[in-house]
Amino acid sequence: MIDQYSRLLRSVAQLEDASQAETAVKKLVAHLKSSGRAKMLPQILRELRTIMARRAALAPRVEVAHKKDAARALKAAKAAGIEAEEARVNASLVSGWRAIGGGKLVDRSGKSALAGIYKKITA
Amino acid sequence: MQSIIERIEKEIASWTPDSGSEEVGVVRATGDGIAEIDGLTDAVMAEMVLFDPTHDRTLEAALKDPQPIYGLVLNLEEDAVRAVILGDASKVHEGMLVRRTKRLLSIPVGDSLIGRVVNPLGEPVDGKGATGANEMRPIEREAYGVIDRAGVNQPIHTGIKAVDSMIPIGRGQRELIIGDRGTGKTSIAIDTILNQKSEPEEKRPICIYVAIGQKESKTAKLVAELEARGALEYSIIVTAPASAPAALQFLAPFAGATIGEYFMEQGKDALVVYDDLSKQAVAYRQMSLLLRRPPGREAYPGDIFYLHSRLLERAAKLSPEKGGGSLTALPIIETQEGDVSAYIPTNVISITDGQIYLEADLFNKGQRPAINVGISVSRVGSSAQTKAMKKVSGKIKLELAQFRELEAFMQFASDLDAETKQRIDAGRRMTQVLTQKRGQPLPFEMEAAVIFAATNGYLDGFAPEAVAGIEAKLQEYLSREAGGVLEAIRTSKEIREETEKTLREKLDAFVSRVQTA
Repeated sequence: MIDQYSRLLRSVAQLEDASQAETAVKKLVAHLKSSGRAKMLPQILRELRTIMARRAALAPRVEVAHKKDAARALKAAKAAGIEAEEARVNASLVSGWRAIGGGKLVDRSGKSALAGIYKKITA
Repeated sequence: MQSIIERIEKEIASWTPDSGSEEVGVVRATGDGIAEIDGLTDAVMAEMVLFDPTHDRTLEAALKDPQPIYGLVLNLEEDAVRAVILGDASKVHEGMLVRRTKRLLSIPVGDSLIGRVVNPLGEPVDGKGATGANEMRPIEREAYGVIDRAGVNQPIHTGIKAVDSMIPIGRGQRELIIGDRGTGKTSIAIDTILNQKSEPEEKRPICIYVAIGQKESKTAKLVAELEARGALEYSIIVTAPASAPAALQFLAPFAGATIGEYFMEQGKDALVVYDDLSKQAVAYRQMSLLLRRPPGREAYPGDIFYLHSRLLERAAKLSPEKGGGSLTALPIIETQEGDVSAYIPTNVISITDGQIYLEADLFNKGQRPAINVGISVSRVGSSAQTKAMKKVSGKIKLELAQFRELEAFMQFASDLDAETKQRIDAGRRMTQVLTQKRGQPLPFEMEAAVIFAATNGYLDGFAPEAVAGIEAKLQEYLSREAGGVLEAIRTSKEIREETEKTLREKLDAFVSRVQTA
């Protein structure tokens, strides 16, 4: 039951119109109250938070080794189908950039290249 | 040092940036060797995935431990996939990057696997370095269809008189070995492997022994025995010990079948022993429950029958157009308190082409192998027997069954008529002749000659309890003085008139010699 309500809320969370989302939540709360299931609300909230955290983990992100590469990386990532608002600096990349989003990884970092060469040599 | 620098320079010079993208997911939760993965929306069933430990580490840390951990996708769910981890599950953590490989779980196969001990992923575990096998084959595949198959008509000799005479096994057959623990199931399988040494090299099957959930000490002992007896040169051991994850124990028989199929498709014969499928079923149950699949009878998942049927159906004798190779399967099932009507035993009995049933009572009485002739059967029957064996073993099974009945009756009746006594003595003699110690398989021509002697009354003059000793002497005598007869049986696979005449003369001479002594 909680799973079903959570799924409902997940689809509500995808609504772009905030007023529509608010109405949906109000209706859900009213429905839970009328059916005597109001005590489920905290569990549904917890489940929704989990869903949101999962979505955040899968949200598109672009990482660059150096701040100066940010604009170029965001443009290249967009061309590859991954659109992020900003690029985060990750010094462990050594050089270049990488982008993850929509179940796709584009890795143009120095770290990946060096690790690849290392694997080939030591194989 | 210079060569290393040159190699690195060469690699750097030839390096080109990867222009594509990869499909990836993120570990949502992990535990008990199972990972729940978000993303991977296009992943397919039984696909291999890579848990990448280098993604969220510094380059230095990544290079220290660059080996990816493999996983196998087994559940495709609405918003996630579940995969079993085929390596060190403790290294897989929440948020870890998972890459698709876009290939089904495959293992390397090749001639170079012969003589090696590997795990179900084809990785060597015998400390002898890389196997050198480089042809990758998916471990799950559809079995050959009706058109591609030929009838099972060539025998695979186990070297065990009781089996070769009464429960003949053919090349391409699936014969179940079933019995309680400690009744000699593995011994029959190992003797069969050892006996292939007596086959001519061109007809000798490649033997694959799959150890599932066994103690590593037992497997080590077995490997040492095969090596000492010169059987490792045509054998491959696939081991998923008791300490291995359930996923590897579940995969081990499929890996064995894949290796066997490689040889079968080259037109060769292969023999694969699954020791044992009860433990594989338990491992599969564990995995299925952790994957949250609905449990059925005895908590096994609903597809437990399909698990075994799709595995055993891969045993086949191919048609001449397909090369004529064969894959014979000897699955082993352990029963509890002799209960053959339990879930897994009945499943596998119904899948296989017969069973060798070993009984604890017979074992405790000293009968080796402890085969219950009454309920052991080979559905391929005499079409997988040589003419020689057919000729000598015709009525043994019936006579032994009658003897067992009379033996039971004898416990209550004190006064027996002469004919009954004679029958009982004949049965005892035959039981003694069929008794055979572990690790002493006989070449088929010797089996045929010994059984010929027993069924033609040459041992009737001896007390039943003396027959075991007489038989040992007979074997010694035949190999010393009847080499020609044995050679004739070996080459022609039958006992022709002139061979029979000479054999009878030799047996007469033996009997009179033993009786006068």
